[in-house]
Amino acid sequence: MKTKRKMLKPLLAVALSAVMLTVTACSKESASGGNEKDADGNYKDKLKISVAQTTEVKDGVLDNEFHKFWMDKFNIEWDYNYIQWDSWAEKLRLWVNSGDLPDVASWNYVHGDFMNYVDQGLLYKFPDDWKERWPNIAAAYKLTGLGDKLEELTGGTYILPKPVYYQNKPADPLVNQIGVIALRKDWAKAVGFELKDEYTTSELMKYAELIKEKDPGKLGSKLVPISYNADDALTNIIMANSEHSRVESAFYKGEDGKFHWGPADPETLTGLKLMQKAYKEGLLNPEFYTWKNNEGSDNFRVKGVAGITSLGGLASYRQDMDKNMKKNLGVNSDDLVHTAIVVGDDGKYRNLEQPNFWSSLIFSPNISKEKFERIMDLIDYSTSQEGQLLLNMGFEGKDWKYDENKELVSLLPEGTSLEDKYPARFEGLYVLGDDFSTINPAIKKEYRETAIKHFQEKAKLGTEGGKLATYDWDVQLYDSKAKSQASFEYQNEYANLILQSGDLEANWKKWVQSKQSLVQPALDELNSKFGK
Amino acid sequence: MKPAALGPDKSLKGRPKSTPWFKEIWKHRMTYTLLIPGLIWLILFAYLPMGGLSLAFKHYRANDGIWGSPWVGFENFKYVFRDPTFAQAVWRTLYVNIIKLVITFPFPILLALMLNELRMGRTKKWFQTVFTFPQFLSWIIVSGIVINVLSYDGLLNSTLSMIGLPTINFLGSEKMFLPMLILTDIWKSTGWGAIIFLAAISGIDQDQYESAQIDGASRMQQIFKVTLPNILPTVTVMFILNVGGLMSAGFDQIFNLANAATQNVSQVLDVYIYRITFQSSTDFSFSTAVSLFRSLVNMVLLLAADRIAKMMGGDGLFR
Repeated sequence: MKTKRKMLKPLLAVALSAVMLTVTACSKESASGGNEKDADGNYKDKLKISVAQTTEVKDGVLDNEFHKFWMDKFNIEWDYNYIQWDSWAEKLRLWVNSGDLPDVASWNYVHGDFMNYVDQGLLYKFPDDWKERWPNIAAAYKLTGLGDKLEELTGGTYILPKPVYYQNKPADPLVNQIGVIALRKDWAKAVGFELKDEYTTSELMKYAELIKEKDPGKLGSKLVPISYNADDALTNIIMANSEHSRVESAFYKGEDGKFHWGPADPETLTGLKLMQKAYKEGLLNPEFYTWKNNEGSDNFRVKGVAGITSLGGLASYRQDMDKNMKKNLGVNSDDLVHTAIVVGDDGKYRNLEQPNFWSSLIFSPNISKEKFERIMDLIDYSTSQEGQLLLNMGFEGKDWKYDENKELVSLLPEGTSLEDKYPARFEGLYVLGDDFSTINPAIKKEYRETAIKHFQEKAKLGTEGGKLATYDWDVQLYDSKAKSQASFEYQNEYANLILQSGDLEANWKKWVQSKQSLVQPALDELNSKFGK
Repeated sequence: MKPAALGPDKSLKGRPKSTPWFKEIWKHRMTYTLLIPGLIWLILFAYLPMGGLSLAFKHYRANDGIWGSPWVGFENFKYVFRDPTFAQAVWRTLYVNIIKLVITFPFPILLALMLNELRMGRTKKWFQTVFTFPQFLSWIIVSGIVINVLSYDGLLNSTLSMIGLPTINFLGSEKMFLPMLILTDIWKSTGWGAIIFLAAISGIDQDQYESAQIDGASRMQQIFKVTLPNILPTVTVMFILNVGGLMSAGFDQIFNLANAATQNVSQVLDVYIYRITFQSSTDFSFSTAVSLFRSLVNMVLLLAADRIAKMMGGDGLFR
C-alpha cells in the first residue's frame, strides 16, 4: 500500500505540472509565437489577433484578396469584433472596465475616461522606444498634438489618437469639417435665388421660404424646406451664430481671462431665435427633433423632398450624396446640388478650430509583446505611402496606376468603387480616410476641389474677422467630477427650448439659471486653475 | 367546574414547547427541497449583487474591483444632491408612476373579472391570448408602432387630414406624453397582469357562488359580494408590490418613447441613471449612489404601503 502511494505522488506531481504548463501556454497573456521572420522576410508564426472596429465585416468578406493580402503579409488570423455606432461608447466602456478589451480597439476618446483607465492600468503602456521602432506611426501621431499632451500628463504612451490629416492637410488653420450645407440649385434657379459659396442663416431661411411658397418641385405637403435634425440645426443655425454653443466649446476663456459658459451668451439666444423662427414658419420639419442619424439627409438624397440639408465638408460625403441620388432618384446630382458654407447673421464665420485627431486606438493591457509588435508593424505599414495607396486605391496595376503626369488614375470600371470591390477595409486602423480623400481619384475631382475650397474659405473667414472657437488644451485635458456633471446634450436642450410655449428669451434665461448649480462649480474650478 | 375534556390549563405552566425549526423542515423536507432552486437564484442574483451597493460609498476603480476600491464616505451623495436634475427626476418619477398606478392598476382586475364571466371556454382562451400577446413585444417594437401611428405623417394624422381635420403633434407634446405612457402601458400589460387575478378567482370555492345563486344573487351581486372579497388579499399584495416599485420601472417604455420635445416630462430616475452612467464620463459609484437612494425610497414606500394595508384591516406582505 505504501509503495503504491509512493509511486502515486510523483505521478500526480508530473500530471499537475503538465496541467499547469498547458494552462500557462493557453493563457491569454502569453503568445503562441514570436515575431521571427524567415529568409524571405515573412513572419514565421501565425498570431490570432482580436480587433474591434466600427466597420461591419459581413460573412465571407475576409476571404477576398484584399483582406488575405494583409493577413498573409503579417501572418495574422483576425478575431474581428464589429461594433455598431450606437453602442460603440457603451461597449468599449464595458470591455475596458471588465478587462475584456480585444487586443486592439478603436475607441472614441473621452479624456476623463482615459485618465481613469490609465490610472487603473486598464490600457497597455507602449514601450519607451516605440517611436523609433515604428517611425511612420510616430510621424502621424506627432501631427495629432494630443499624443504629446497626454504623454505629459501620464508619463508614457497609452493611446494612439487617430490623425484626421497626415500628408494632405487641406487648409491652415484646420477648421472642423461641419458647417457645410447642400441645397437644390435647380429649385434655387426656379425661384430666383442667387447661388453663392457662403450664406447667412437668414439667407438660407429666405431660400427655404421661397421654395415653400413657390414649390418648384411640385411636392406639396411632402416638401421639407430645411431638412435638419436637432444636431444639424445646432451646427448650421445656432453654431453659425454662436461659436461656443456646442459641447466641444461650451467652456471657454474670454478676453477678460476668465472662463465663461457659451450657452448663456447672447449669441446663443440669437441662434435660438432663428431656429425657432425656422420651426414656427414650417421651414423645419414639425418632428425634426425625433429624427435619428440620416433621416434628415435622406429627405434630400433618397426621397428628393428637401431643399436644404446638412452635408459636411468632406469630398467623400459629396460623393456619397451623388451615389445615393443616382441610385434612389435616378438623377445626376451635379445638375441639382450646390454646396456652401454657413455664416452668422452678423456676417461673421464661426466654427470650431479642429484638432488633428478623431477617436483613437487602444490596446488591451493583457496583450502579449509579440501581438503588440505584430499589430504595430501592420499599422506602421498601413501608415506608409504604400500602405495608404493600398488601403485607399487597391492594388497597383490592377486597381490603379500613375499616368504620365504621375497623377493617380483609378482602373476600376465606371460606377464601381473600391468599397464595392473590397468591402470593409478595416485594416486602415490608424490614419483616417479624410486625409486621402483630398487626393483620391476615386472621388470626383470637382468634389475634391470644392471640399478643399470650402476648407480654405473657412480658414480664411475664420481668421479674418471670424470667430473660431479655439481648441483650449487646458479645458479639454482637464477632468473633474464637476466638469463631467456640467456636460449636456445641447442639441436636445436647444430643441426643447425652441419648442416650449411662451417667450423664448424668458425660457432661455430660466434654463440658463436652472443649469447654474452644475455649471458654476465647473467654471469656478477652471477659473481657479487656468483663469486670470 | 372546568370541563375535563379541556385538560389542564396550559397557560399556567407556560406555552407548550414548539417543534424545533429544523425538525419541522426535516418533516417537510420534500416540500423544502422544491424551495432550493428558488433560494439559490435569490442568493445568486438578488443578495450577492447587493454587495455591489458598497460602490455608492467608494471611488470605483475597475482594477481594484468592488471590494478593493477606496472608501469615500458620502462624497458621491454630495454630488447627487447637488444636481437639480436629480431632484426633478425623483419628483417626475413619483408623479408619473403614481398616476400610472392609479389609472392602470384596476385594468387587470377588470379584465380578469370580465374574462371570468365568459362562459364559453374557447372564446375565453382566445380573448386571453389576444390580451396577453402584447406583453411579449419589447418596448422598442411597441414604441416603433406608436411612433408610426402618432407621427406627423403617421396613420392617425393622415386619417385626420383625410377627413379634413387639423393634424396634431402627438409626439412633440409634453401634455400628450403621460397619456401616451398610460395608454401604451394598459395596452401592453393588462392581459399579463390579469393572469394573477384570474388565478386568484379560479381558487374561489364554487360553493360560495352556488349559495349566492340559491339566495337569488345576480351576476353583478356575485362579482361584488363573492369574487371581489375573495381576491382582495391578492389585490392588496399586488398593490403593495406596485407601490414598492414606484421609484423605478418604466425605463424601456419612457426611453423609447421620449424625444427632445418631451425631455422635461420624461426625465425619470432610470433615464437619469442611464444618462449619468453611459452618456458622460463613466462614474459607476455615482450611478450606484443614485440607485441606492432609489432602492431605499422604494423600500420605505413598500413598508409604508404594507403598514397602511394592515391598518385598514387588510392583509400585508409580512405577517
